[in-house]
Amino acid sequence: MADAASSSARVNALHKFPPPFDTSDESFELIAQGAESLLYRTTFSTTGQPAALKVRPEKKWRHPILDKRLTRARILAEARVLVKLSGEGIAAGGSTPGKRAKVKQPKEGEKGVAGLRGFVPAVLALDWERGWMMTEWVYGRTVKQAIHDTQAGRRAVEREQRLQDLKELLRRIGEVVGKLHASGVIHGDLTTSNMMLRPYDATTPDPTSTDSLDGDVVLIDFGLSTQSVSDEDRAVDLYVLERAFGSTHPREEDLFPEVLTAYAENEGSGMNGKVGKLVLRKLEDVRMRGRKKSMVG
Amino acid sequence: MPIAIGLEGSANKLGVGIILHPPHQPSSPPSPHDSAYSDDELHSSHPTSKQKSSSPPVQILANLRHTFNSPPGTGFLPKDTAAHHRRWVVRLVKQAMAQARVRIEDIDCICFTRGPGMGAPLSSVAIAARTLSQLWNKPLVGVNHCVGHIEMGRAITGAENPVVLYVSGGNTQVIAYSAQRYRIFGEALDIAVGNCLDRFARVLKIPNDPAPGYNIEQLAKNAGGVLLELPYAVKGMDVSFSGILARVEEMALKLESAAQSKPATPWLDPLTSAPITPADLCFTLQETVFAMLVEITERAMAHVGASQVLIVGGVGCNERLQAMMGIMAAERGGSVFKTDERFCIDNGIMIAHAGLLAWRKGFVTPLGGSGVTQRFRTDEVLVDWRD
Amino acid sequence: METITLPHLPQFPLQVVLFSEVKNADFLRQQLLDGNTDFEYAFLDAAVILSREHVFAACFRAINDTLQSRLKSKNVHSEIVFALSPNNNISESFRRFGVSDTTKDLLAIKVASRDAVHTETHLKESVQGTVVPFTDEVLAGMTDEACLRKAYKIDVVGNEADAYVVGMIALKGS
Repeated sequence: MADAASSSARVNALHKFPPPFDTSDESFELIAQGAESLLYRTTFSTTGQPAALKVRPEKKWRHPILDKRLTRARILAEARVLVKLSGEGIAAGGSTPGKRAKVKQPKEGEKGVAGLRGFVPAVLALDWERGWMMTEWVYGRTVKQAIHDTQAGRRAVEREQRLQDLKELLRRIGEVVGKLHASGVIHGDLTTSNMMLRPYDATTPDPTSTDSLDGDVVLIDFGLSTQSVSDEDRAVDLYVLERAFGSTHPREEDLFPEVLTAYAENEGSGMNGKVGKLVLRKLEDVRMRGRKKSMVG
Repeated sequence: MPIAIGLEGSANKLGVGIILHPPHQPSSPPSPHDSAYSDDELHSSHPTSKQKSSSPPVQILANLRHTFNSPPGTGFLPKDTAAHHRRWVVRLVKQAMAQARVRIEDIDCICFTRGPGMGAPLSSVAIAARTLSQLWNKPLVGVNHCVGHIEMGRAITGAENPVVLYVSGGNTQVIAYSAQRYRIFGEALDIAVGNCLDRFARVLKIPNDPAPGYNIEQLAKNAGGVLLELPYAVKGMDVSFSGILARVEEMALKLESAAQSKPATPWLDPLTSAPITPADLCFTLQETVFAMLVEITERAMAHVGASQVLIVGGVGCNERLQAMMGIMAAERGGSVFKTDERFCIDNGIMIAHAGLLAWRKGFVTPLGGSGVTQRFRTDEVLVDWRD
Repeated sequence: METITLPHLPQFPLQVVLFSEVKNADFLRQQLLDGNTDFEYAFLDAAVILSREHVFAACFRAINDTLQSRLKSKNVHSEIVFALSPNNNISESFRRFGVSDTTKDLLAIKVASRDAVHTETHLKESVQGTVVPFTDEVLAGMTDEACLRKAYKIDVVGNEADAYVVGMIALKGS
C-alpha cells in the first residue's frame, strides 16, 4: 500500500502496538515506516479481508503536550476527512459526526461531479487517544513506484506509448485532486507516495511486477488534511504536489502541467471552469512567493 | 595547492576566510580551531564543542568575522549594515592574510557571496571582492550563500550525503542532493525561522548581542515547563511562520500589559496556574517552531530514504534544535551532523570553500557578470564537483 | 446461534442470535429497564441494522472503549447500543437502536460469555420469536429505510452506505 523504499528504514525495536493490538492474535506485516506513522497490513474483518493499520508512535523529540495534541488532531483530521468523503452521495446535507467537526461545504456549482467515494480508503475503526486508525486496504502500488517501474522502451513507438500513458496518468491525478478540492478538502501532503494506483480489477491481489500505468488513482495519507474551499489553500496544495513531483520525478517534471490542465479543465474534476482557473492563477502567486520571497533578515 | 579567500556579507556579519584544499588527505590534522576571531570571539559565550568527526579534507588558514549589532528592539537596516561592512572589510582582509601567512601570489581566486541576501551589504562586499580581483589580478568566483553553508557543513562534519536543514535569519530550507543540484524539498512559505525568532526578540526587547536567537535560547532554559498553544503550520514539507509570529507577539504584548497593570494581575497558565514569564514564551516558541523543522526534515529523510541529517545556518547553533534533531535521527537509525557557531553562523571560510570547489572545476565569474542578486535559489547552482 | 470472534479481540467472542417476528419485545425491554442481571445482552432493533459489518463496528468500538475504561453507559452491552448511534445522546441511542415495544426483529448479542450453551438456551426461552440466520441478506429484509435514514442522516440506504456508517461509529464522540 505504500512503497517499499520507505520501509527500508529500520523500525524502532522498542515500538509496541497500542491496545487492543498488543494482545491480538492476528498477524501484522510492516509495510512502511513513514515520517509520521507505521503502516501495517493486517485484517479487520471476520471475512479475512486485509486492512491497513496506521499507528502514530509517540515522537520523543517533541514536547509531550505538543505531541499528544498533534497526534490527536491529525488522526482525527484524517478520519473526519475520509469519513466525510466516504459519505459523498450518501449523507443528507453533508453532515459528519463529531462536536468539533467543522464541515465546510463547497459552494453550489463547485461540487464534484462524481465525488471521491471509493477513491479514498474507508475508515473501519480508530482510537485518537491511543493514536491508531484502521482503514480499508488499497490494492496496488504507489504512483511513485508505478512511475519508477515504467521502462522507457528502446523503440520510438514504445517511448511514445510510455509518454502517452504517463500523461494519461497525470491527467487522472489532476482529476482526483480536483474532485478532492471540489469536495472542500485540502490534502496537505500531496506527493506521488500518497497516491495509490489501484488496478481497475481491484479484486486481484497486489501486482508484483507490472509496467502498466492503468488503474484508479486513490488518495491516501490525509494526516495533514484540512477542510477548506479557499483558492489560496487549494493553490498551496497544488504547489506542494508540483514541488514534490519535481523532486521525486525529475525526468518526468516537464509533464506536470498535465495535472494542472486536467484539474482545471476536465469534466470529472469538479474544479473545471472558472474556479479552477482562479486556483491556477493563485498558484502562480504562490510559486512567486516561494521562489522570490524576500531573503532579507 | 589551491588556496582561496572568501568574502561574505549577505546580512549583518562580515566574514573573511582563507582556505586551502590539500591535494591529498592532509597528513597533519587541519586546524579549524586555531583561527582567530575578531569581536565575536571576545564577546561570545557560545559553548565551543569540538568536532569529533573525521578530519575534513580542507585546511582553514583564517576565519575572521565582525558582526554589526543594532540596539535591542531594532533590526539591522541594509544601509547601516553596508556601511559597517565597508568600514571593516579592508581591515579584516589584511588581518586574515597576515594570520594565514600566505602571500598574494599564493591565492588562486577571490570568492564572494553573490546572494541571496540583503542588497546593500552584498554590494559593498562584492565591490571589495572586485577591487581585490583587479588589484591582485586573480579570478573572481561568485558563490551562492546557501551552497556555501552546505559545503562547509559537509567538509567540517564529514557527512557524506545528508538531508540538509538550512535555517537562518533569511532562509529555511530542507535540501537533499540529487543529480548535481541541491534540491529544495521543503521551505518556509513566508518568513524564515530566524526572522521569526529575531522579530519576536524585538517585541520582548531581548538584546541582539551576540544574537537574538542565542538569547532566546538562554532564556528558554529558565522556563517553567509551560507550553502554550501556538499555531502549528506544516504543509507537506513546507512550513509557515507568520501566523505563529503574530500569535506569539500578541502573547508578548499580553504579558507586558499584565506586568504593567495596577494592581499587578499576572497571566496564569490555564493548565498549571503558574504565572507566565517571558522565558515561557521563548520556550513555547522554540518548542513549536523546532518541532515543525524536525518534522519536515524527518519527512524529507523518509522521502529520499536518508538517515543522515546536517544542520547549517545561524539557527543551527541552537542546542535544543540539535538535540531534538538528534533524537529524531536516532529513532530512524541515523545521526545528526552539526557545526558550532564558527561555521553555522555566516562566515567567510564557507564562501572560500564552496568557491574553491567550483573554481577547481573551471568555474569563474567574469567581472562584467559579477553583480549581486538578492534572490538566488539554492537549486540554481550546478554542483559539478559532486557525483 | 452464531459465535463470532472479531479480529484482534480473541478474548471477547460474540454470541449472536437474530430473531424475526418477535412477540414479547415489551417484556424484553422491561427486563433491561429493571436491571435484571439475567438479561445482560445487547438487544438491537434489526430495523436499523444495515449489515453484519455495521454490527461488528459497534461491537468493536464498545469492547475497545470498555478495555480503555471509557464507557459512557453501564456496561459493554449497553455500550454496543450506544455505539451504534452517531451522537452522544444515550437515551436517544436506546430509543433508536435498542429494543422497543414495537420491535419486530431483534438482534441479541452477548459478549464474552463463559457459557455459550446457557446463553443460547436462555435467549431461546426468553425471546418469543423465530431464530433466523444472521446474514446480510436476512438483515436487508428487516431494514426500515426511513428509520435508518433518520438515524444516520443519510439519503441512501444500502451496501454503499456501509463505509460511511461504519466511519461515523468510529468517529463518534470526537
